[in-house]
Amino acid sequence: MYRGREGQWAFVLHRLSGVALALYLLLHVLDISLVMYGPEGPFNAFLAFYHQWPFRVGLLMVIVAVIYHAFNGLRIIIMDFTDWGVKVQGPLWYGVLAVTAVIGIPVLWKILPEIFGGA
Amino acid sequence: MAVRPKTLNQAKATYSSNSELAWWVFMRISGLALIFLVLGHVFFNNIQVNVADVDYAYVAERFSKSWVKIYDSFLLGFAMLHGANGLRYSIEDYIKKPGRRFWTKTILFTVVGIIFILGVMTLWAYSFEEMGEAIRALPEG
Repeated sequence: MYRGREGQWAFVLHRLSGVALALYLLLHVLDISLVMYGPEGPFNAFLAFYHQWPFRVGLLMVIVAVIYHAFNGLRIIIMDFTDWGVKVQGPLWYGVLAVTAVIGIPVLWKILPEIFGGA
Repeated sequence: MAVRPKTLNQAKATYSSNSELAWWVFMRISGLALIFLVLGHVFFNNIQVNVADVDYAYVAERFSKSWVKIYDSFLLGFAMLHGANGLRYSIEDYIKKPGRRFWTKTILFTVVGIIFILGVMTLWAYSFEEMGEAIRALPEG
């Protein structure tokens, strides 16, 4: 396997998170559209199903993927439109990972106890 | 794997058609908008509330507000186009056989189109106002 430098890992994660988020988006719009069946419809049963812990952990991964994809997307825009962005794209990627951690860890801190702590 | 251009000038030189160049520009503009729209959406619905509390009443109350309908319309439109085009890039990178590539994209665009229409119907074809009023009138908890 070819082990590239930062740029390749940034690309691989951007593509994986992007495909995952697009598929999640389709599923999400589809299940929210069940509200059209009204309060007696299947909406609440579906949501109760999705509130089981494996799906909530999955949703947490979706949120982390959103944060990474958002900030790496910003890095791509900077690379596309500035010369300095191309020169520092490697360090910028570590910046993206740092921002993902700085936002992601408080999110985990808030949501993990909701799933497992009974808080 | 297709090598995508890295700068606007490269993109102009690379893409033979204006529509590919337009999609390249669209991915950046919609991406910028989605950073705010999606992170805001996650904040409203995952941080300000516990997702376990989300149910019909929560969603109906949200969809009874005009600003939510408008916000979610932009979110739906940008996200569906950005996501569908991203999936199209992936299909074109990994599926080489013309026939299989054609059918994969046809199925993708059909599914995206149907779900997009369902999303628009949810936001605009149903009136949640009465339900929203009734839910807001309930005592807390």
